[in-house]
Amino acid sequence: MSFCSHRFSIRRLAVSPAARLGACALLSVSLLCVALEESLSAADSFAAVIAETQPKMVKIYGAGGPRGLESYQSGFLISDQGHIVTVWSYVLDTDYITATLDDGRKFEAKLLGADPRLDLAVLKVEARELPHFELAAGVPGEAGNRVLAFSNLFGVATGDEPASVQHGIIAVKTRLDARRGTFETPYHGSVYVLDAMTNNPGAAGGALTNLHGELLAMLGKELRSAQNNIWLNYSLPIEELRSSIEQILQGKFRPGEDKTTTKPVDAIDLAQLGLVLVPDVLDRTPPYVDLVRADSPAGLAGVKSDDLVVFVGDNLVHSCKGFREELSRIERDSKLRIVLMRDQELVEVEIQPVAEQKK
Amino acid sequence: MSGRLKAEGCRLKVGNSGAACWALLVATSLMMSAGHALAADELQRREEQAMKAAVARVAPSVVRIETVGGLERVGQVLIGTGPTTGLVVSAEGHIVSSAFNFAQKPDSILVTLSDGSRHAAKLVATDHSRMLVLLKIETEAKLTVPEAVPLAEMRVGQWSLAVGRTFDAGQTNLSVGIVSALDRIWGKAVQTDAKISPNNYGGPLIDIAGRVLGVLVPMSPDGTGEMAGVEWYDSGIGFAIPLAGVVQVLPKLVQGQDLQPGVLGVNLKGADLYGQATTLAAVRATGPAYKAGFRAGDVIVEAGGQPVTRPAELKHQLGRLYAGEKIKLVARRGDGRIDREVELADKIEPFDFPFLGILPMRPLAGEKAAGLVVRYVYPDSPAATVGIKAGDRIQAVGGTEVESADSLAQKLQNLAPGEPVQIEVRRGSETLLLRPILGRLPESLVDELPPAHAAVEPPVAPDKPGETEPEQPQVGVVALKIPEFQNECLAYVPESYDPRVAYGVVVWLHAPGGLKQDELIELWKPLCQQHDFILVAPKATDRTKWQPTEGRFVRRALDDVMKNYTTDPSRIVLLGQEGGGAMAYLVGLASPDVVRAVAVVDSPMPRLVQVPETEPVHRLAFFTTLATKSETTAAVEAGIKRLRAMKYPVTVKEVGEQGRSLLTDELEALVRWFDALDRL
Repeated sequence: MSFCSHRFSIRRLAVSPAARLGACALLSVSLLCVALEESLSAADSFAAVIAETQPKMVKIYGAGGPRGLESYQSGFLISDQGHIVTVWSYVLDTDYITATLDDGRKFEAKLLGADPRLDLAVLKVEARELPHFELAAGVPGEAGNRVLAFSNLFGVATGDEPASVQHGIIAVKTRLDARRGTFETPYHGSVYVLDAMTNNPGAAGGALTNLHGELLAMLGKELRSAQNNIWLNYSLPIEELRSSIEQILQGKFRPGEDKTTTKPVDAIDLAQLGLVLVPDVLDRTPPYVDLVRADSPAGLAGVKSDDLVVFVGDNLVHSCKGFREELSRIERDSKLRIVLMRDQELVEVEIQPVAEQKK
Repeated sequence: MSGRLKAEGCRLKVGNSGAACWALLVATSLMMSAGHALAADELQRREEQAMKAAVARVAPSVVRIETVGGLERVGQVLIGTGPTTGLVVSAEGHIVSSAFNFAQKPDSILVTLSDGSRHAAKLVATDHSRMLVLLKIETEAKLTVPEAVPLAEMRVGQWSLAVGRTFDAGQTNLSVGIVSALDRIWGKAVQTDAKISPNNYGGPLIDIAGRVLGVLVPMSPDGTGEMAGVEWYDSGIGFAIPLAGVVQVLPKLVQGQDLQPGVLGVNLKGADLYGQATTLAAVRATGPAYKAGFRAGDVIVEAGGQPVTRPAELKHQLGRLYAGEKIKLVARRGDGRIDREVELADKIEPFDFPFLGILPMRPLAGEKAAGLVVRYVYPDSPAATVGIKAGDRIQAVGGTEVESADSLAQKLQNLAPGEPVQIEVRRGSETLLLRPILGRLPESLVDELPPAHAAVEPPVAPDKPGETEPEQPQVGVVALKIPEFQNECLAYVPESYDPRVAYGVVVWLHAPGGLKQDELIELWKPLCQQHDFILVAPKATDRTKWQPTEGRFVRRALDDVMKNYTTDPSRIVLLGQEGGGAMAYLVGLASPDVVRAVAVVDSPMPRLVQVPETEPVHRLAFFTTLATKSETTAAVEAGIKRLRAMKYPVTVKEVGEQGRSLLTDELEALVRWFDALDRL
């Protein structure tokens, strides 16, 4: 039905220029118009972009993973000299990587470099004059944009068979670390979440484009949310990857410090605040305050026993464990803003750790 | 690219035209193709714009919900703690969401509005029919209430956009699809092919103008409960409850009134939803249909103004209704018509099986039966109290003629324990009119039983030599092959098998360690022969344990035997020990249409199984051993308590302090109990 509506509306939009041209041309031309118009549909407009994009895709074969994990993934060309962008994974962890181009030619691919923080790797095959994406021409996308995803998901295509293409929209642009501890991935930057089932075995490293065929992002690996236990279909925006790719191409890449996981050496703790939580007996004991020392920083800030801690800063805490985890990310002498639930009311307090308690 | 290809195609087509117009043609067709490409782009751009505008329009009403505390698992599904979505339905702070989001019964609920403000929320009421909850936050500000699409305007094929607010509080997430169907899940939901998951459950499904079609929920046509349908997340099969309907029940929910699906309190003949039978097999005396005047045997021909010929059509009319709502039912009774309005109830008291206290003789196939001959009278039963004796012939009950045990059973299933019933008994040349008061099904074992049928004469050999006898199914020890399954399955059919006799079936589900064929057959052979049973012994693929998924195989093995042999539907039994016992519960409770008893040795009922309501037409009894000081004692007792609370009869055999197998005499007593399952 969605295709029907395309077809219908296209006709409506397309008739006027066609009619105008037809009027000032020969009869045979207006007959021609009708023939052309009949065959036009949304599929045709996708077809042009798809036909142009598929030759830029690469099928990559390498090492199989543990427990029968597939030994292939997807990639795309970013230069006519055979530079390929793909995901960094166990598949590349071998001495012999094969890249099969869209025309079926097989090459041994050399690993030029990888940035594990971005799940990114760049390969090179010895070939010339290849169709490719212009890295510099990559564009940003936003929620609601319609997109095409190119990949060799499930290894369906082999030899000179073109990559598979899927159609969807960007559901949301968000950060993978927006929900800390939710996703087991080294990448914590922004992603496009898609409403199509793109992230399947073998799809990682594929290309996401808009309907003009402009490069938006690289398809990510399979990822399940630890919070709601469902699979996430996401891709990594090209602007997040661009500088690392360029550095690898120039041979200057130095893996950077992963700052997202560093915690302060001396973090805030409960005793310092004067807080005692209820005994932590369950996996997810709600963080109720059991006792507060009246003269402690927490007591002075107005925290009371039986309060439930719900937010530390802007992060929701589900459990005593989660509360301690959040505190461990905060410097010992910095101000602490927490939101408490007290009799169905949300109460925000700011706790100022006392100076003399700092050693 | 396609423009170019098109132009070349055109040139080929018109290649025979005069050279004069050649250049013009080529030029024109190239220009036209460019025009088309632009138009397609323009369309896509406009569609995308329209979608973004639609989302922007509803976004102020879409809130983020976070919960703290509660269960970690509901059933076998791990409950996430991730944020979920809600939809504002009143300016004063009422928000609807999917009941799925609250299955874990959270301690605290936090709502973040589209402006970023956070509020504590209370759960006001639950709609158990549509699986929605209503929340309330306290707020000074007036919230934005979205516009609902009227039901009559919804069209299959129209754009439908699913909106959530789960990734970031500051922005919505979107999935695009079309309306796949209306009136799904028995008239309750709109179906969409947009990707519906915990990322947007509770959020709105909107049209291209940003008006709300419905509230997204997981749902399944077969299951009920908060988790039903979650397995279909992101599959292209998603459901939304029309907001237009929610608005109608909102006043009740706002007052804190929970809504329940409406029930009639009837059972239909036949289990096939699409079969041609809407005859009432049982009408529960405490239910609304009975109070409105419907009785067993009536044939429903119309419901809610719609003609009804199949159970599914009746279910479709009922499915959309809440308890307290009314439906007009028309039934055919003989030549008459009953036309009544029934107010649906929220629940029916569990059905308590009534008991007269007799075992019927079992006529052989083809034997002419007039009434029901009493095989055995339970001591101290209602029948014994009024003096019914073995050998009596029951001719009529409550004024209706009794032709067989079946017709007596059907009569009884519309009565309740404690009710008097008039019974006409023929003894020799005497006719007695007795009025016993019905009791409850007994939970005791039975003593020695007299034979259930007359001795069987060997079939007469065919007169004409050369005429072959009809093919007889295999007897003795039989290896059953069940297509599709790799499991092995053994059966023992008494060598004296005669198709005129109806045999009970005992499915033996072995304990971990597998089964020893020779010992098993030696033990069961005399029991099967004496009590007319066929033994079926399926084997688990992994002999050390049963997988719940092997339930389908067990059921298929049972169906296979029932198809190929003359079996007695009132004596179909699953018997299991330890892990096999858990399997007996799983298969038995999932097959109430076939299984009449579940017997377990040293095995508690799995905590997670759903105990279905008792059904008058599907009589199910339980037997369990109980060790008094074993690790599983508490679990076994908990299972017995759950079953008895649902009014199932449970026969308990104490076996001492620790669990053990049954001794030979105990097994004999158990098989006598199996033999007596056709008690009335």
